[in-house]
Amino acid sequence: MLTCDDYLTPVTLGEAFDAMENHRGVYRLVAGATDILPWAREGRAGDVHIPVLIDIAGIPELNVREVAGGNVRLGAATRFQRFLDDKTLAAALPLMPFCAVWFADDQIRESATIGGNLVNASPAADGTPALLAHDARVVLSSRKAGKIVQRTMPLSEFATGPSNTMLAADEILVEVQCPALPKHGGAFEKVGHRRSLVISTVCVAALVEIDATGERFADVKLAVAGIGPVPRRMTAIEEALKTKALSSAILEDAADSAGDLVASRTRQDYRREVVRGFVLRALINAALRAGASTKLISREFEAKYA
Amino acid sequence: MPDLKIEATVNGRKVSKNVAPFARLLDFVRDDLNLTGTKEGCGAGECGTCSVFVDGVLVKSCLVPAAKAKGAKIETVEGLARSGELSVLQKAFHKTGASQCGYCIPGMVMAATAAIRSNPLVSDDEIKERLGGNICRCTGYSKIFEAVELARDVMNGARPATALQEEEVDEGQFIGANVRRLDAPSKVSGALRYAGDTVMPGMLHVAVLRSPHPHARIVSIDTSAAEALPGVEAVVTSADVPGVDGFGVFVHDQPVMAKGKVRYVGEAVAAVAAEDELTAKRAAALIKVVFEALPAIFDPDEAMKAGAPIVHDYAPDNVTKHIPIRKGDVEKALAECDLVIENTYETQQVEHAYLEPEAGLAWVDHDGVVTVLSPSQNITNHRHMLSRIIAKPINKVRFIMSPVGGGFGGKEDMIYQGMLALLAMKTGKPVRLVFTREESIATTAKRHPARIHYRSGFMRDGRLKAIALRMVSDGGAYGLSTEGVMRKAAILGAGPYDIQNLQVDTIGVYTNNTPSGAFRSFGALQTQFATETQMDIAAEKLGLDPFEIRRINMMRNGAITHTKQKLGSVSIGRVLDQLEKAAQWEKGAPAQRGDSRGDLGTDGARRACALDARFVEAPTKTMKSEVA
Repeated sequence: MLTCDDYLTPVTLGEAFDAMENHRGVYRLVAGATDILPWAREGRAGDVHIPVLIDIAGIPELNVREVAGGNVRLGAATRFQRFLDDKTLAAALPLMPFCAVWFADDQIRESATIGGNLVNASPAADGTPALLAHDARVVLSSRKAGKIVQRTMPLSEFATGPSNTMLAADEILVEVQCPALPKHGGAFEKVGHRRSLVISTVCVAALVEIDATGERFADVKLAVAGIGPVPRRMTAIEEALKTKALSSAILEDAADSAGDLVASRTRQDYRREVVRGFVLRALINAALRAGASTKLISREFEAKYA
Repeated sequence: MPDLKIEATVNGRKVSKNVAPFARLLDFVRDDLNLTGTKEGCGAGECGTCSVFVDGVLVKSCLVPAAKAKGAKIETVEGLARSGELSVLQKAFHKTGASQCGYCIPGMVMAATAAIRSNPLVSDDEIKERLGGNICRCTGYSKIFEAVELARDVMNGARPATALQEEEVDEGQFIGANVRRLDAPSKVSGALRYAGDTVMPGMLHVAVLRSPHPHARIVSIDTSAAEALPGVEAVVTSADVPGVDGFGVFVHDQPVMAKGKVRYVGEAVAAVAAEDELTAKRAAALIKVVFEALPAIFDPDEAMKAGAPIVHDYAPDNVTKHIPIRKGDVEKALAECDLVIENTYETQQVEHAYLEPEAGLAWVDHDGVVTVLSPSQNITNHRHMLSRIIAKPINKVRFIMSPVGGGFGGKEDMIYQGMLALLAMKTGKPVRLVFTREESIATTAKRHPARIHYRSGFMRDGRLKAIALRMVSDGGAYGLSTEGVMRKAAILGAGPYDIQNLQVDTIGVYTNNTPSGAFRSFGALQTQFATETQMDIAAEKLGLDPFEIRRINMMRNGAITHTKQKLGSVSIGRVLDQLEKAAQWEKGAPAQRGDSRGDLGTDGARRACALDARFVEAPTKTMKSEVA
């Protein structure tokens, strides 16, 4: 079980940095707490004592939710359920609802935060590939010489390995920013041992924009998790498809190379097969949701993969 | 350790309590407010029994630090029927028989309430998705889904309120009638108290020190540091047993706590009673046990070989029970058969995973009666065994069976009640032990893993002429129900078939694995798996329809089983007919089926796994919906 001597709930960023300075070396930041509580149990970390827990989920900067000027700003404490019940958000980030519905379950999505999912840096995180596909950037905040400063980096550079990120010891991930992609269609494919509440064995996130002809890819963004130490974009496939006309053949060609990315510790053959199928399925579903002509893909092909 | 002050509104009432800074919302609700309708099934966010509303959104309270509830409006299952009248949803759960053991039900009711509040016209598929974070082990979910659909329809006026009432039953005609369960209101409202929900004044909390070794001699146990910890009232070990130390369903081979040696990882070695759970846990960690590792044995076939480590001295061959059955001349018959199929099957260990982890409360009453309240599935047997263990006459031992939050055979064994009795006697106070989910999985009985060597002989026309089956089962470290499971496996293992030549050996073997015990179907499942697979293989090899080969060989009314039981009425024929119909079976030998299946996409066929019910009204349609 998880024990602590003090549980702090700062209500401003300044208070949070005060707490971090006062308890340097003996604190841990908490947001949704849905990872840390199951982690501190028998079979994983066991009984864990952390002297000070600093709960940052109530800080206003971490609860920003704004779609404006072609950009989306999401406070790090944004709960995953918002992608399912906030229509503005869903329209601007068309992949996120499909990711969210596969993320844990309805109850946990009301607690779990996007920032927590990114900082936790699980190789199989569901939120990370989806936000990677959305070209997310992360805003990291710290206090230097009494002044709160920020730095921003692409999410693709944030995770460095399992449970490791670029976040410095004195920093808080405060915000995630993405370009709004209202014309894209999104899709998220996931497999695990069961439907709800399961860690991905493999998940693939896709965003597709179709040009005015209704037949060509204007843009393709693909990301995958569960096949290596960190979730990653599938840039080669993206480039191979952009501006091309949508067809069963071009999708199959593109997907054939997907399995080469598999670098997991276990079940590589299985994952290679799944990734190929998921890339096909995600591209078909995202393309159709982006308004692709339904004539381009045969019914048999769709039935087989989507 | 500064306490955390939580002021919140709970079920409409303002409350203010000081809690430990690390308390979870679940602890606050259950321990500080005594609202025990909210259950702890796993403590890790997996099962949903702890679901509560915080400021209108449903969360799993085992994953929410209590500090997050400061100033919040909390609604628990008790809040749904505050007026004393059950909510429409609760009435619907009552009506459809959605509650069985009831332990998952408060969480299910809460998740269903959230689903209908979020979307009053929630579709059948969306109900299933929205209940995805809640696990039930009894119902198979159908009755629960039916209840939510009924409540939705009544609330929307699609069905009349009278649909919630009990169906009329012709006088005395209860067979075949749909009657409501008497205990359902207490389950759907969260009012029913299971053992772990029960508190007594002055109650102590128990923690158990368990073996990290599969097989080791206990050189010494030093409890002094644990006993010196403030808040600790007593520590017990096997040395505290006053009577004959042994229990089990068939053979009393298991001591209350490890005696002399440990035989599996997780076996209880000592138990502590202290004023709170954390102190008890900390004290258990202070007990110093010196172990001397012994060679351990993990495979039942290896365990029967000469020279293998011996788990129990009374059984030097490690055999717990061997049940042999002989009928006819199997070797002669097999030699005459047109087709002999020989295979080895293995089945795995299975956990019951009832939603209620083991829990018990024990005390010594005013008359000196040692009383144990627990979800025991076998209280009379437990009472007699405990009487010998604590050396008290039977009238000084009482067992109370608390509501069983799922058992499936897994709660037949007296694995913790003895420790509780000893601690109650030693402290003179009520003592309570509640297993964590991890403890429950690691230390309690499992379904027997089995290795089944099988030979079946058939004639060309499909007649099953002979069976030779030998099942070696891993009984683990203690006997528990192994003997009964072997008997049942031997009686039922060859299936409902009329066979003239039969040779069955079921052998339960001691190993240093987690003990195996009773589990739904009690040994028949493992052998049936092998028997039915043999039948399917035979159908394929003989070019027969799998239903047909079973009809050729099935027992009929008046059949005499191989254990000489005369069966007046045999229902397998009717079962096969119904099954064939329900499965939309396409007649023919298995090998005749091609790539395509005619049953897909037809009425009654199920859709592939998906999570899209909430996107049905999304502006973009998928091709499937356009085609359809």
